[in-house]
Amino acid sequence: MSDRDPSRSRDLTVDDLEEMSDSERFRAAAAQLDDVHVLSVHNPAPPDSKLGRRAERKVAACFLLTFVSVVAFIVIFVAWPWEFSPGDHSFFAYWTYTPALGICMALALFGLGAGIVLWGKLLMPHEEAVEYRHGNRSDELDRQTTAATMRDALVTTGLPRRKLLRRSLGLAGGAMGLLAVVPLGGLIKNPKRALFTTPWKEGARLVRYDGVPMRPQDMEPGALETVFPGVPGGTKSADAATMLIRLRPGQQIASRKGQEGFGWGDYVAFSKICTHAGCPVSLYEQQTGRILCPCHQSQFDVTLDAKPVFGPATRPLPMLPITVDSEGFFVARSDYREAIGPSFWERP
Amino acid sequence: MSQPTEPRPSRLARLRRRASGVLALGVALGAVGVGYAVLAPASHAQDDANQSVDVRMGEQLYNEGCITCHGRNLQGVHDRGPSLIGVGEAAVYFQVSTGRMPAVRQEAQVAAKKPRYTEEQVNQIAAYVQVNGGGPVIPSGDLHDGDVAEGGELFRLNCASCHNFAGRGGALSSGKQAPSLANANDKIIYSAMLTGPQNMPVFNDNQISPDQKRSIINYVQTLKDTNDPGGNGLGREGPVPEGLVIWVVGVGGLVAALLWIGAKS
Repeated sequence: MSDRDPSRSRDLTVDDLEEMSDSERFRAAAAQLDDVHVLSVHNPAPPDSKLGRRAERKVAACFLLTFVSVVAFIVIFVAWPWEFSPGDHSFFAYWTYTPALGICMALALFGLGAGIVLWGKLLMPHEEAVEYRHGNRSDELDRQTTAATMRDALVTTGLPRRKLLRRSLGLAGGAMGLLAVVPLGGLIKNPKRALFTTPWKEGARLVRYDGVPMRPQDMEPGALETVFPGVPGGTKSADAATMLIRLRPGQQIASRKGQEGFGWGDYVAFSKICTHAGCPVSLYEQQTGRILCPCHQSQFDVTLDAKPVFGPATRPLPMLPITVDSEGFFVARSDYREAIGPSFWERP
Repeated sequence: MSQPTEPRPSRLARLRRRASGVLALGVALGAVGVGYAVLAPASHAQDDANQSVDVRMGEQLYNEGCITCHGRNLQGVHDRGPSLIGVGEAAVYFQVSTGRMPAVRQEAQVAAKKPRYTEEQVNQIAAYVQVNGGGPVIPSGDLHDGDVAEGGELFRLNCASCHNFAGRGGALSSGKQAPSLANANDKIIYSAMLTGPQNMPVFNDNQISPDQKRSIINYVQTLKDTNDPGGNGLGREGPVPEGLVIWVVGVGGLVAALLWIGAKS
């Protein structure tokens, strides 16, 4: 008992309590048991005063606002002519539907909240109280008996003595832990091959998004078509998207070393995936021969084999070697010779 | 070594054979020509007359407004304007009806402005260029009746990268830009796809069929007619203005409300 506040006393009896009103009982309990002493109470709006009645009406108005808003919400939800009809140019009822619902819900929540705040501010008595601060440490008696209870519980389970029980429980716990970790194993893969290859292969036709193979006579000079490998699942392949570009007359190609003759006639094909952050680069300017990336404004020059000429990209777009097969359709001569898309750690 | 099996024909016989061949060819050509003139529908004559009036008017307009840069025979003038041979009436319609041509000056991109010529005059110039240079033509009739869903897919695949998902245009390199489609009518969109004006890639009828072009047009025009369900579309420019409004107006308003509450208590 040494660290208890000396002013605190437990001289309240049950008989005393019986003679008190609830309010007195609450005060006494606060003062006697918790050391909270109310210094003054100010009642801003007594129940029968003019001020009190006015404050009550304000709070009631707020709650009424909530009720009206909820009713309005339901009415709008059920009866508003929200259907959209194409060609109708007076969209007012359509586009105000969602905002109207939102405004009603907001007003309902606001009314409830504002009512409660006003209630607290205008009607509840304002108290000033002092609460004494006590030491945090428990009684020595409490501390020792609690510790003894815990130690005794451990001995009672028999774990310290029973080796088999202890070890089998450890095994079971470890197994449960594995249960949580093992499913993550399915997410761990070595992506190495997938990062270096795409579905393009020798003889794979260059097909459009709808599977139609491309022929040299299909495109005008200055045209661009996004093509995919004509293999099963090729048009859904995320890393195979390729830009087939037909150059304009007079646009001279300066090939990168080792890529001479990758194009066919005035056709060239480059990966559509930016080497900086992997965005699709299909903003093609046919006169300047530039391919732009919309994400970070990298620019690649088609006449320099898609060398980056501006922006954060540092590697040229990989070039797909193409030719025309005996039936007159474009085919790939091989997969890309380098990894497509952004750089990664193991990339040479 | 070997003996000739028959005697060589005399020079006179050879000459006679050659002359008779030429004669036969002349008679055949004449017969075809006369036959065509007799059998061809007579209404063509009227059309041809109207067309030739258009072409004549177009030639006059061309000689006044276009010849300086594109040359007397549409062949172009070095460092001034490109050749118009093979561009067709579609290109003329796009460039002149949007006011891009006649151009004010050489710059990164010829901008659209108030058109110099009326629709009729545009068609006359187009007819002149078509007759003398040839090239892609715009089909007549409704260009607005395609499949909206297919048009949307094609738009997102081929057009949205430059013209924005809502057709509001966007920036390109070195002062160039992909224009907004807000003021483009059906014929302008069709002719732009067909001819690839300025830096836009060409999408001929093998790449995007006329039906698919109509689908794209229907999608673009339907998109323009569609309202913004969330209230103000902020120019439909996408996440940048939306984020700006959220951060400046939304978060700013919340901070102001918090400061107000703090000042009151």
